[in-house]
Amino acid sequence: MSELALLQNYLLIGALLFGLGLTGFLVRRNLIVMFLCAEMMLQGISVSLVAWGRYHDDWGGQMLVVFILAVAACEAGIALALILMLRQRSGSLDIVAWQQLREEGQARYVDREVPEEREEPPQWPRLTPAGIEPPWDPDEALHRSHV
Amino acid sequence: MNQPLLLLWAEEASRWAGRAGGAWHFLVSPGGRATAAALVGAAGIWWMLPGGRRLGRWFGCGLAAAGLVILASLLPGLGSPLAQTGFWLVAGLTLAAAAATVCTKNPVYCAIWLAVTLLGTAGLFLLQGAQFLGVATVVVYAGAIVVTFLFILMLAQPAGHAYYDRISWGRVPAALAALTALALVVTTVHAVALLGGAAAAGPRTPAEGLDAGARIAGPTALARGEDVLHPDHMARLGGQLFSRHLIAVEVAGTMLLVALVGAISIASQPSRGREGMGTR
Repeated sequence: MSELALLQNYLLIGALLFGLGLTGFLVRRNLIVMFLCAEMMLQGISVSLVAWGRYHDDWGGQMLVVFILAVAACEAGIALALILMLRQRSGSLDIVAWQQLREEGQARYVDREVPEEREEPPQWPRLTPAGIEPPWDPDEALHRSHV
Repeated sequence: MNQPLLLLWAEEASRWAGRAGGAWHFLVSPGGRATAAALVGAAGIWWMLPGGRRLGRWFGCGLAAAGLVILASLLPGLGSPLAQTGFWLVAGLTLAAAAATVCTKNPVYCAIWLAVTLLGTAGLFLLQGAQFLGVATVVVYAGAIVVTFLFILMLAQPAGHAYYDRISWGRVPAALAALTALALVVTTVHAVALLGGAAAAGPRTPAEGLDAGARIAGPTALARGEDVLHPDHMARLGGQLFSRHLIAVEVAGTMLLVALVGAISIASQPSRGREGMGTR
């Protein structure tokens, strides 16, 4: 029964990863973030495939994940080149910049409420002040603890 | 056992519909708990998404975590407390990082959270005994792909926070997306429950799962649990990869080469500059 429990646990995690990735892909507007979410969907599928492979004691699941890795690498290369081209042409990473490609009868998407960016004061790390000479200790100069 | 999943859910709902305290019984039943968990989790994710919700993002985090806990209460235990703790640690880290990837405003943080998610999935692979995949995920995904994404982000991201990172699509599409994810999770939970029912009804015959493996291994098929979890993990994986999947390996190599050439040819086109594509 433990194998089955393992499969059920992993299937749920895979589904949650896929669902989160799907939500992000449909909701976010930055091209690169959309692409990251697509990668996350691939990860959800991979988790499920490995779990099924373990359950059936078959290498097929892991083989598929190996090829998913190869395809994801190709996809990332092509998509990043495309994103760079799109960014050069439209001047931003916003997917809404390409809404000219919509169908004829579709209304144009207009942002209603853009929340103000809250100015948060940058928090710089506190470093110990450098360049101050420690006070001269004649004892230490005579008796060094280390050579 | 083979009836459609939604039908099953509706049946469970209608069973408790007319009775006293039926709503509470439905909420406590597995189907009701799965639905409640998915609803709560989807609401939490919706709250965490960029776009100026009033109550703040920690409220959304709390909702999503509550949904996850309810879902976890539905799952069967893994046997030993050690395995259970390890699994939930890694799985919780993975899911929290995934939620942060979707919900963080700054795309650089998104990429870094995705790298954490990938480390988590690598841990999940290792817990399943898929050692090669765990290491390959860390090396290929977290090491190469996410770093390339970061390079592109540094190249293409405008200075400061862009306005399109502070908002998501309108509220209706966001709610629709979250509901889609919800339906997906509920369906999976029901499918998993069905699976448990089927397994309890009758034990699987070994031939069922080992059929494909037996064709490779010949007449001396291995006992259950000795193929994928064999100590010679890499040798067996390599043997499978370069015997049964040899053509696929060649095709994947060719595909990588084609993708390389394609990416170079796309990126080296002379840029034509802005063409008035901006909409604002």
